[in-house]
Amino acid sequence: MPTKSIGVRLTNEGMFNNPGFVSRTIPEVMFGFNKNLMMHAQGFLSDMDGKYRLEGGSLYLKYRFLSVDELQSHFRAAAFGRVSTSRRPTYTRDINLEGDNGGYQGGLIFTQLLHKLALSATLGYAHAFNDIDKQITGMPRPNNMFSYSLSSGYLVLPFVYKDYKEPNFNLYFEMLGKTDPGSGESYLDLAPAVQVILNSRTRIDLGYRFQATGNMANRYTKNMYLLRAEFNFFNALK
Amino acid sequence: MLFFAVNVSAQQISTADLQVTGLTCSMCSNATQKSLETLGFINSVKPDLNKNIFVLTFKKGADINIDLIRKKVQDAGFSVGGLTADFTFNQVKVDDKGQAIVDGNVYRFVNAKSKTLNGTVKASVVDKNFISGSAFKKQLATVNSDAYANGTAVVNGKKTRVYHLILS
Repeated sequence: MPTKSIGVRLTNEGMFNNPGFVSRTIPEVMFGFNKNLMMHAQGFLSDMDGKYRLEGGSLYLKYRFLSVDELQSHFRAAAFGRVSTSRRPTYTRDINLEGDNGGYQGGLIFTQLLHKLALSATLGYAHAFNDIDKQITGMPRPNNMFSYSLSSGYLVLPFVYKDYKEPNFNLYFEMLGKTDPGSGESYLDLAPAVQVILNSRTRIDLGYRFQATGNMANRYTKNMYLLRAEFNFFNALK
Repeated sequence: MLFFAVNVSAQQISTADLQVTGLTCSMCSNATQKSLETLGFINSVKPDLNKNIFVLTFKKGADINIDLIRKKVQDAGFSVGGLTADFTFNQVKVDDKGQAIVDGNVYRFVNAKSKTLNGTVKASVVDKNFISGSAFKKQLATVNSDAYANGTAVVNGKKTRVYHLILS
């Protein structure tokens, strides 16, 4: 995020898992405090436990501690931390701090840009808050989770820019994995996505995520689409 | 050491080509453009989105701060890969060490000494964070100026910002 700018996101996720289709809406505000520090604040609303309701929120901080910029490439490294709340009971060992679980997470992100190809690797460790009141008897109790992902994005269009109004079209492919260090259960998801950038300030993402391999039961994020609109307001903060 | 402080019109730099590095897409370029436009001394910013070059023009008579240009690029999250500007000099004497003082700005020319500059000359800023990190390391081995490593020197008894320039 550029210094003093604000971004607003609206995300809709739809999950095609048992017992049927459910969806979640995530309003999100992002702040660029300085060239290295940014914050996201999110709210989570879903119909996963019956009626549509507010189920929690999350604060995410990211600090970039390394950037090596060259003409057609860059390498960046950042550390992130997240704290989340959720009213939801747990039905799976999987930890999803964007709606399903309360807890905290820390990790590292590495990004390498090579001309039109952007590669990104994320490593994280999450701990879920143990809330006895929400616990349903007989249901799994999530505790800790390693997460690791590799993402690649390629700028397909335009070949040649005319101006800022020229739309950008990007293709993404992500591999998202998690391992529960307690039970040894793990999974690996594949997630292709398309991204369109309009007027060099509005971003639209559409992706689908499915499991390639894994043995973690009752996951919510197993078969899921994501639709996101992001609006950027440069120099909005004084 | 002798210094020739010659007064020139306040308009020392008319235009500059700013190469920005680390940009991914036109949203990054737009963020850089918007950041640069907050500088009061900038008149216009014209981007070349294919080459990631921004052509800057400056307001007549305004005090131009080259370091602030770099800071605004960094604020947007990116880096300066090169800054080549049109400097207008009016009988500016470059001493035998390559140094010239114009309106209180101290310049050290890497490839010029003991000469008089007159009229518009193109020069590139080669200080730290105005060229890539690897290019700076290379220059550091060859540039003959005690001020090059950190960009400051004691000039007339005062710690002063020193810009290092290469005449095109």
